[in-house]
Amino acid sequence: MARNIIVDELLTFIAEQNPSDDAFNALALQIFAFQFQNNRPYASFVRSCGKTPSTVKRWWDIPPVPINAFKTLDLTCCPPATAAAVFMTSGTTQNGLRGRSYHAALEVYDASMRRHFAERFMRGDSHLSMGILFPEPEIMPNSSLAHYLNLAIKTFGTSDSEWLIGADGIDLPRLISALERAEATGESYALLGASFSFVHAIDALQEQGRRFHLPPGSRILDTGGFKGQSRDIELDAFYDALCHTFGVARSHCIGMYGMTELSSQFYDDGNLTCPSVKSGPHWMRSRVVNPLTGVSVPKGQTGVLAHTDLAHYNIVTTILTEDAAVEVDNGFLLLGRVEGAEAVGCSMAVDEFLKATAGC
Amino acid sequence: MIERACYLPGLDPSAISWRNLTFARGGDTALEVAVPLLTEQDINNLVTHVREQAATHLRPMSVTQIVEVIDAVIARLLDRQDPYRQRMEQALPAITGYDCEMICRGLTQYLKTFRKPELLRFLAEDFPNPNILDDFQPLTKGGYGKAFGPPALAHIWAGNVPALPLWSLVCGLLVKSGNIGKISSAEPLFATLFAKTLAEVAPELSDCLAVVWWQGGDEASERAMVQATDLTLAYGGIDSLTAIRSRMPAGKRLLEFGHKTSFAMIGAAALDSAKAADTAQRAAFDIARYDQQGCFAPHVVFVERGGSVSPRRFANYLAGALTAYGKRYPRRELTLAEANSVVAWRQQEEFSNGAEVLSEALGDWGVSFYDNGGSFGPSCLNRFVRVIAVDDLAMVPSKVVPYRAMLQTVGIAVPPDDLFKLARLLGEVGVTRIAALGDMTTPEAGWHHDGRFNLSDLVNIAEIDTRAPLAADKLAFYDD
Repeated sequence: MARNIIVDELLTFIAEQNPSDDAFNALALQIFAFQFQNNRPYASFVRSCGKTPSTVKRWWDIPPVPINAFKTLDLTCCPPATAAAVFMTSGTTQNGLRGRSYHAALEVYDASMRRHFAERFMRGDSHLSMGILFPEPEIMPNSSLAHYLNLAIKTFGTSDSEWLIGADGIDLPRLISALERAEATGESYALLGASFSFVHAIDALQEQGRRFHLPPGSRILDTGGFKGQSRDIELDAFYDALCHTFGVARSHCIGMYGMTELSSQFYDDGNLTCPSVKSGPHWMRSRVVNPLTGVSVPKGQTGVLAHTDLAHYNIVTTILTEDAAVEVDNGFLLLGRVEGAEAVGCSMAVDEFLKATAGC
Repeated sequence: MIERACYLPGLDPSAISWRNLTFARGGDTALEVAVPLLTEQDINNLVTHVREQAATHLRPMSVTQIVEVIDAVIARLLDRQDPYRQRMEQALPAITGYDCEMICRGLTQYLKTFRKPELLRFLAEDFPNPNILDDFQPLTKGGYGKAFGPPALAHIWAGNVPALPLWSLVCGLLVKSGNIGKISSAEPLFATLFAKTLAEVAPELSDCLAVVWWQGGDEASERAMVQATDLTLAYGGIDSLTAIRSRMPAGKRLLEFGHKTSFAMIGAAALDSAKAADTAQRAAFDIARYDQQGCFAPHVVFVERGGSVSPRRFANYLAGALTAYGKRYPRRELTLAEANSVVAWRQQEEFSNGAEVLSEALGDWGVSFYDNGGSFGPSCLNRFVRVIAVDDLAMVPSKVVPYRAMLQTVGIAVPPDDLFKLARLLGEVGVTRIAALGDMTTPEAGWHHDGRFNLSDLVNIAEIDTRAPLAADKLAFYDD
């Protein structure tokens, strides 16, 4: 099947109101067949799992690709050189290798982002004045988050919206004046960015003894956790600090969970309690699985997340993450990344081996 | 029932607070093990106590008497009707998650290597004349020498391979030290039960040994122990050993046993159609035993071409043998982090390295096969192994030479001439133990752990200079 047909079907599907499970399944299988045909490393992975499009009948039987594979394989249905965008992971994990997602075009990515963002973050508002605590796409051309935030500001931001992080970090005077302006106008304000940037902002404002009381309807979107890029902080303390510093109720502090290896995002409905329930749009499905077998664990038990995101049509729809989670009604509770295993005996574990051979 | 770990002679148990460790790996019901929360003062008091008690009761004993006591303790622990043995059999599977039958068989096999004949060999290995531990003995260079173990010997154990602390404890007793051992949170019970059995078998020695716990890496406790004792034996990973080293007072010795890796080598002679299945079974046993968690378990199997069974077919045989072991001795349940490591390993082997991966749907084991160009590398453990085809086993030492510092055992299946030829090459690159395939996980009595001397590394020799008796003679009442 040609790419343009898939794209048309996806755009229609994303725009629908409540498509049935069967419709999701049918499109997932179509895209799976498309990827099997056009994405050679993925096809060999699928075969090694003992499957082919003719044996996979339900979306949950699509073999999930471990996210580590994105570091070493070019998982793409278009030649990498022709990709409209390449999003890369930060490379903070082992060996500094960066996972790569090649996007033949971004119309589906953008449609997915807009539709779900409007519903979960904009909550009925068409535009908000926005401040972005993240560098612009020009500074980080391979960052999917920079692209996402750029879409947010371009589609949903009022004209006075601005980027508050430059090449040298947070522009504190601009942040303060943006917050003061919002307080003065009384209009809802939205602050969006990486979780660790919020930690830096909170610390910097606290140092100056500044607190703000953003007008009613103001909201915050944070994403990505702390990843060793700021001090680590318990989620409850983090949302308390957001509330304390910016005067935005925790119910209006929305966590976004996204990955470079996906084209859609998950949101919670505020963080009155942590961990909050996160969920995706109707063109995504998530399962909490035993990573060894790929089989779903019973509801309430901890496993790792496997996502099927139809919008990721040019790469692979179905990935196996390293994020621990518990399935609950209407979504899942995200418990954080599964750390590397330590040897329980006296044999060397992989991480230790790598440490010991760092000079070899 | 809550098991109480640790053994604290001389401390008032009612004055100590306890904390429970929960182990829920082996089955449906969790096992609680209570461990004491000790202060630095408690640790100092324990060291002082075992040092004094050992000086009074253990150091005057002859090494032969000590061997007999240890032999009697081991005899009890080998008896499956003995209450302490039964507690081990009940608790160790729940604590470690290893299969009951595997633990039971493993305990017996292991304990058997500590009976009197083996202990005598163990002594003879390090001391041509073991009486040197009892009294001054003539030295070959002239003069006399007596070996003194440290009055107080600290042990810091790591990991969950059952009964591992027995090696160093027996060594400590044979050199007549007061012993204080810090158990691992992953397996706190074996050393405790050993101490209790010893106290029953030889009540006079009951206070020569203490078993303690703290959360691994706790600086104040570690510092207290290494400062109060005379010599420290420590097991663990790079980070924990580095931390312990930084806490050693100047002038005191630390003997380190870091984590190691091992591998297997299979020659063409072991791959004829009559022998290949047995060879695969032996390799599978070394892999399945304690789920590769021991330092003696293979991460990689090098297989020589030229036998009637090709390396690729051997990899299939090995997969079959691992399936069979999986049924007989099921692999313990993995944590999410361990399962994650397995996923990462499979992905790396198959997609980064281009190996053929044999595994089964439940992920209980895995074999990755390299027909060309595979290199030595770490396994994710838990029954996952790399099989690498080579033209000639003599090529293997050059493949492992960068890893010299972390090599330990090689399990080998080759004819006699090759055994000695390869052993020499392997020794050159840092391998310290060469065992028959299938025996990798059961070191024999008296083996040189990581190439070192178990007993003689612990002692100081006090020697009487050759000329001293002659000079003394001149002061005798019978001197003319």
